[in-house]
Amino acid sequence: MTLTSLTVKNIGHNWLRTMLTVAGVGIAIFAFVFIRTLTGAWEAGVENAAQDRLSTMHKVTFVMPLPKRYFGEFDGSKGKIAGVQASTYLNWFGAKHPVRESEFFANLAVDTDTFFDVYREMAVPPDRLAAWKENRQGAIIGEALANQFGWKVGDEITLVGTIYPGDWKFKIEGIYTATAKSVDRAQFLFHWDYLNDSLPEQRRDQIGWIASLVDDPSRAATISQAIDDGFDGEDVQTRTMSEKAMNMEFLGGASALLGALDFVSFVILVIMMLILGNTIAMGVRERTHEYGVLLALGFRPKHIATFVLGEGVTIGLLGGGFGLLLAYPLVEKGVGRWLEENMGAWFPYFSIPPKIAVMALVLAAALAAVAALIPAWRASKLDVIDALRRLG
Amino acid sequence: MSDAKVHEENRGDESRHDDKPARKAANKPVIECKGITRSFWRAKERVDVLSDLDLEIEEGSFDALMGPSGSGKTTLLNLIAGLDRPTAGRLLVAGTEVSAMGDAALAKWRSQTIGFVFQHFNLIPVLTALENVELPLLLTKVPASERKKRAQIALRVVGLEDRLHHRPQQLSGGQEQRVGIARAIVHDPKIIVADEPTGELDRKSADDVLNLLDKLNREFDKTILMVTHDPAAAERARVVHKLDKGRLT
Ligand SMILES: Nc1ncnc2c1ncn2[C@@H]1O[C@H](COP(=O)(O)OP(=O)(O)O)[C@@H](O)[C@H]1O
Ligand SMILES: [Mg+2]
Repeated sequence: MTLTSLTVKNIGHNWLRTMLTVAGVGIAIFAFVFIRTLTGAWEAGVENAAQDRLSTMHKVTFVMPLPKRYFGEFDGSKGKIAGVQASTYLNWFGAKHPVRESEFFANLAVDTDTFFDVYREMAVPPDRLAAWKENRQGAIIGEALANQFGWKVGDEITLVGTIYPGDWKFKIEGIYTATAKSVDRAQFLFHWDYLNDSLPEQRRDQIGWIASLVDDPSRAATISQAIDDGFDGEDVQTRTMSEKAMNMEFLGGASALLGALDFVSFVILVIMMLILGNTIAMGVRERTHEYGVLLALGFRPKHIATFVLGEGVTIGLLGGGFGLLLAYPLVEKGVGRWLEENMGAWFPYFSIPPKIAVMALVLAAALAAVAALIPAWRASKLDVIDALRRLG
Repeated sequence: MSDAKVHEENRGDESRHDDKPARKAANKPVIECKGITRSFWRAKERVDVLSDLDLEIEEGSFDALMGPSGSGKTTLLNLIAGLDRPTAGRLLVAGTEVSAMGDAALAKWRSQTIGFVFQHFNLIPVLTALENVELPLLLTKVPASERKKRAQIALRVVGLEDRLHHRPQQLSGGQEQRVGIARAIVHDPKIIVADEPTGELDRKSADDVLNLLDKLNREFDKTILMVTHDPAAAERARVVHKLDKGRLT
């Protein structure tokens, strides 16, 4: 036995209370880790959003389409717009799974020739890509979506249209993987032509928006302006911005909420600290007599204070460890998987950053130490005779 | 251990029986109280719990301190053990003027010179017998393996070598008190103070504990000062001091 092991053994005085306290600290740490991971993932979505990819949409609202001929102005080979490397066009299809209709996923009608030139952080095996381009009803889906619905290459599936009513039949030709964390891994991509050809005459040749890759991200704003200026004289004017700028605009409203959540995560820890402080103080009061015995044997007030602090830190670390133990399966496998699969557009990558895990553990120990400060100080002020007279 | 030979010795106040076989001719006082007063203030009123008390205890003696409840026995014992300081008077214990020492020096002195045996045993519930006994050695430079060895020896002395890893809850009262005694001797102190060590024990366990104290006194030359209410316990002592209202009678 050493002074350190003696400190640790002290947590065994009241196992039920120790376990409840550890559980309480653990749940607080779990909440902290969960909230932090959530806000972190949200912000990472913005951070990681492409700055070199521009979206050109209807000036009034992105819900309204652009004439397809606008894409002609972009076409990289024609090189009409300086600084743009590659462009593609997409339509939001908005269809649903025929049975699990509440499970949202992004499904897009895309230009098979150019899509992957612009979305370079999505990888598809070359043979699958070729098969997809061949099959007019072919679809390429993200790995998360494949997991979610249990779809495999070769499956023939039906989606139920909302914006474009009817049952739409597809065949899964390939599965893409993400090479960057910002990519939504639950998208469904199919031929724009398949959609367009199925529409009545008056709804044809309209595209949702145009995505372009620029050479130099620092010129994104200038190039965006140049694009919009080019359509200034048209009936339908455009609005162009980088994906990052778009996400930031969208997040502007959310940032107050994120800030509030971060604040709440700290409030939880402070409450945890106060409760822990009270529990430790209770233990110290109950053990006054025991501290009297130690003092009689020649232990010094600094030893007693160290025992109390050490006990607090031990409980903090145990609770922190327990919280992380809860957090990993629940956040990474449970909520995280669900968010990635169902809300991949907002949380493309939902995982506990190691930084947060370490921070949670350090905070648990540090706050526990702070919580133990007052009880430790009081224990160090005990008078040996008074303490011995106090019945344990 | 045999307790047959000790019984008919030692009775009467301040009576000395220097005919014990193992006893050295030890007359040097190891505890000297000179004009000790200890006062407490209760609602601005001064209460002299001990007043102008003189007491000498010889090295190697086994003395008992008796007296009615509230007469100041514990207060006196605490002073001698260096837990407290007198309001007036001088106190010399084992050659050191205890009454003049600061807190830190006193704590260190205590941890080297005094072994404590308490009425309520006062073992730490989360520690095993062995760990409880090892406790005083944590304050020394004795290395861990040696600490454990010494704790084992002390537990052997009290006859609990087969209970090393039991916790206090798993021991009987008598066994707990024997662990308490092992803890009091593990650091080889000169003096053992015991405040009503048999107060919570049945006759049989009490006798075991008294036999043990007797053995420590005879075989290990410990000076023992024991507060007790129990006449049977006082019989074991060489000298019995009677305290009443803060004065020796
Ligand atoms: N710290 C203290 N403060 C005030 N009064 C005390 C204190 N310690 C002891 N006393 C009083 O001194 C008297 C003697 O106490 P004590 O030495 O414990 O008696 P005993 O051990 O003989 O029963 C009691 O009246 C007790 O209330
Ligand atoms: Mg008493």
